[in-house]
Amino acid sequence: MGCTGPEGEKMTVIVCRCEDITEEDILAAIEDGYCEIEILKRHLRIGMGPCQGKTCISLLERILKRELGTSSDKIGRPTARPPSRQVSFAILAGDDHE
Amino acid sequence: MPAKRISEHPVLEFQRGEKFFFDFEGKKIPAYPGDTIAAALYAQGLQKFTESKLLKRPRGFFCAIGKCSSCIMRVNGVPHVRSCITLAEEGMKVERQSAMPDFPDVALPCTPVNEHKIEIAVIGGGPAGLSAAIVAANNGADVHLFDENANLGGQLVKQTHQFFGRYEEHAGTRGVDIGKALAEEAHEAGVKIHSDSTVLGYYPEMTVTVDSSNSLEIYRCKGIVYATGATENFLAFENNDLPGIYGAGGVQTLMNEYGVTPGDKVLMIGAGNVGLIVSYQLIQAGVEVVEVLEALPKVGGYQVHASKLRRAGVPISTRHSIIKAIGTEKVEGAVVQGLDDDWKPIDGTERTVECDIICIAVGLQPDNHFLRLAGCETKHVPELGGIVPLRNEYLETTVSNLFIAGDSAGIEEATVAILEGKLAGAAITEKIKGPSSELTTIKEKAILGINDMREGPYGKRSKKGVNLCTFEGGCIG
Amino acid sequence: MTGYERTGVLDNNHIKKPSKERLERGPVVIIECVENIPCNPCVEVCPISAIGMEDINDTPDVNLDGCTGCALCVTECPGLAIFVIDCSEDDGCLVTVPYEYLPVPKKGEVVTALDREGNDMGDAEVIRIRESGMTYAVTLEVEKDKIWDVRGLKVKK
Ligand SMILES: Cc1cc2nc3c(=O)[nH]c(=O)nc-3n(C[C@H](O)[C@H](O)[C@H](O)COP(=O)(O)OP(=O)(O)OC[C@H]3O[C@@H](n4cnc5c(N)ncnc54)[C@H](O)[C@@H]3O)c2cc1C
Ligand code: SF4
Ligand code: SF4
Ligand code: FES
Ligand code: FES
Repeated sequence: MGCTGPEGEKMTVIVCRCEDITEEDILAAIEDGYCEIEILKRHLRIGMGPCQGKTCISLLERILKRELGTSSDKIGRPTARPPSRQVSFAILAGDDHE
Repeated sequence: MPAKRISEHPVLEFQRGEKFFFDFEGKKIPAYPGDTIAAALYAQGLQKFTESKLLKRPRGFFCAIGKCSSCIMRVNGVPHVRSCITLAEEGMKVERQSAMPDFPDVALPCTPVNEHKIEIAVIGGGPAGLSAAIVAANNGADVHLFDENANLGGQLVKQTHQFFGRYEEHAGTRGVDIGKALAEEAHEAGVKIHSDSTVLGYYPEMTVTVDSSNSLEIYRCKGIVYATGATENFLAFENNDLPGIYGAGGVQTLMNEYGVTPGDKVLMIGAGNVGLIVSYQLIQAGVEVVEVLEALPKVGGYQVHASKLRRAGVPISTRHSIIKAIGTEKVEGAVVQGLDDDWKPIDGTERTVECDIICIAVGLQPDNHFLRLAGCETKHVPELGGIVPLRNEYLETTVSNLFIAGDSAGIEEATVAILEGKLAGAAITEKIKGPSSELTTIKEKAILGINDMREGPYGKRSKKGVNLCTFEGGCIG
Repeated sequence: MTGYERTGVLDNNHIKKPSKERLERGPVVIIECVENIPCNPCVEVCPISAIGMEDINDTPDVNLDGCTGCALCVTECPGLAIFVIDCSEDDGCLVTVPYEYLPVPKKGEVVTALDREGNDMGDAEVIRIRESGMTYAVTLEVEKDKIWDVRGLKVKK
């Protein structure tokens, strides 16, 4: 599935809701040779938003599989960074007040 | 009227307490005790919760259980609050935030960091976590259970249908009642329950940080049972982020937990059990389900669920998918298309479906980010829904004294979640408090039950997956 | 691939049917559950153990001669896949179907009978209605030639 509609108009297919990364962005990055999740995360910031990739990484995986035909082990797995969840600012600020 | 509060329901009763009001961008919004901010706003017709970061697209909620961050708002000056799991309070001030939040502009209700030493932390209060906590507490352990929701019971709280599975493990009972019964049992067993408490991170040597109603707490534990459930998968199609496109589980939460219908006409994407069951529950709530689409050549869920939906006159179109959502501010329809045997859309089969809500029910993935943080080895196992931690027969991960149970260990169903909870609860208690014949019996019974559940054609897939990520040894016998 | 896997609709060939004699003797259960799913409440609830199942993943195996047609299993089955038919009286047959929608029909009310695809099968009178755990077993009177098709109902507006 490409990134333009039947009449050639631009389509928006969102993959990462938090960081506003579209399928088109990902296909372009793949074209440029970025084809591992970890590398795409650094390059596009996909999966780096408040949900920490919970919503988008599995979709990204499926797109990479479809485009590259590779197995998930080749695509690699995202590493986790603390904190495991977006900390609401109240808490971070709480930390500061210590 | 797009959304409305359900006044009459065939199996649920919504006893709304005394109405109160909070402020949303200068408007007075009515709410009832137990409403989350998102549910109260949605009931008033609000669909746009945020605007996206770069493209400035309108966004609605998606998961409604605190996983996706699509609903973050500024509450009493504090940005980044997940409005779908934060209870509305009288006089609260709620605003939409620009995506890059400024620093808070009010004094914060901050308490200094508190440190606690405990024996067992159970993370997640769904059927798996509750079952683990009950077993551990009944066998003399000091157990603290954390859940980020206000209500215990996890996914069970919104399951109004009678459950499948073993009669002994509550099959034939409605999920919502099982959830209540387990929560009650946990109280009685002496489990220290912390609701509204999100576990944020893991630090070495069994330390977890918890956001407990906006104060940061640190718990140093001897052991952890991790049971945070699953996240709904998202799907790629044109305009897939419009308000009105929600996870099927999110809609189920809105409807069955908070008593608010999502809209008038629903297009369901996915004919697995979740898609079929949520469709049926939508009809029960008085919402029309216009069609169920399934990309596979056959219905993925149980025949009995599909049959009851068909009896209600709902068409199920296999080998079909959605290619586009119509609308600019919210969903005004959808374009769907037939697929050929290579999953390619077939030219000339496009048609428009009239709907104002699109539900995505294309599978769940285990929520186990935290485990990777803790250094547990993981593996990609499609049969279990994605990346899962390696575990031994007793559900201990590669990190000693860190156990898993339920959907976060691999997507199965509630009976297995309960049995896995019991197994992990017994095994961790054995490691921390020492063995006993009672614990051995619980473990043996649970293993037998789990194996039984995995025998059928639907269970075989899970069995295959579990075999791929189970290693030998690790835990004491 | 069989049709129901694609459509979700069973046809009468998938279903264990009672003999003509059994049908005339009194009410009897019809179980429309054909897949190996891990489920067994029907077995547990039957007071005379007319439903057998060796493994929880087997399909229910019903002894139609033993079944009394009491319909207890109709409200217990989470799949809403159990029905009872009764052709023992001369005038009209009875079909008992599970029902979990609103509004709940009343005894004596005329409702629209539905088939397995939700098609209108004509009017039917509610003869009996029983509730258990918020699921209703509604007994409809239908013509004899419709007993293999009527599997649901809709309350008239
Ligand atoms: C539509 C639908 C229908 C279903 N029907 C059936 C059925 O008929 N039969 C059946 O057996 N099963 C069914 N299931 C599956 C069943 O609901 C799940 O398998 C089961 O709830 C999993 O239990 P769990 O305890 O692993 O996770 P959950 O029930 O998801 O509970 C996880 C809990 O963890 C909490 N949590 C998550 N992250 C954190 C954190 N960081 N800090 C603190 N707390 C956290 C959450 O708030 C939640 O309460 C159905 C599921 C769905 C969606
Ligand atoms: S109708 Fe009654 S006797 Fe017959 S199978 Fe059901 S519960 Fe048993
Ligand atoms: S209770 Fe219903 S769904 Fe379950 S096995 Fe029996 S007939 Fe099938
Ligand atoms: S959707 Fe990509 S990080 Fe949240
Ligand atoms: S976190 Fe609130 S909608 Fe997903």
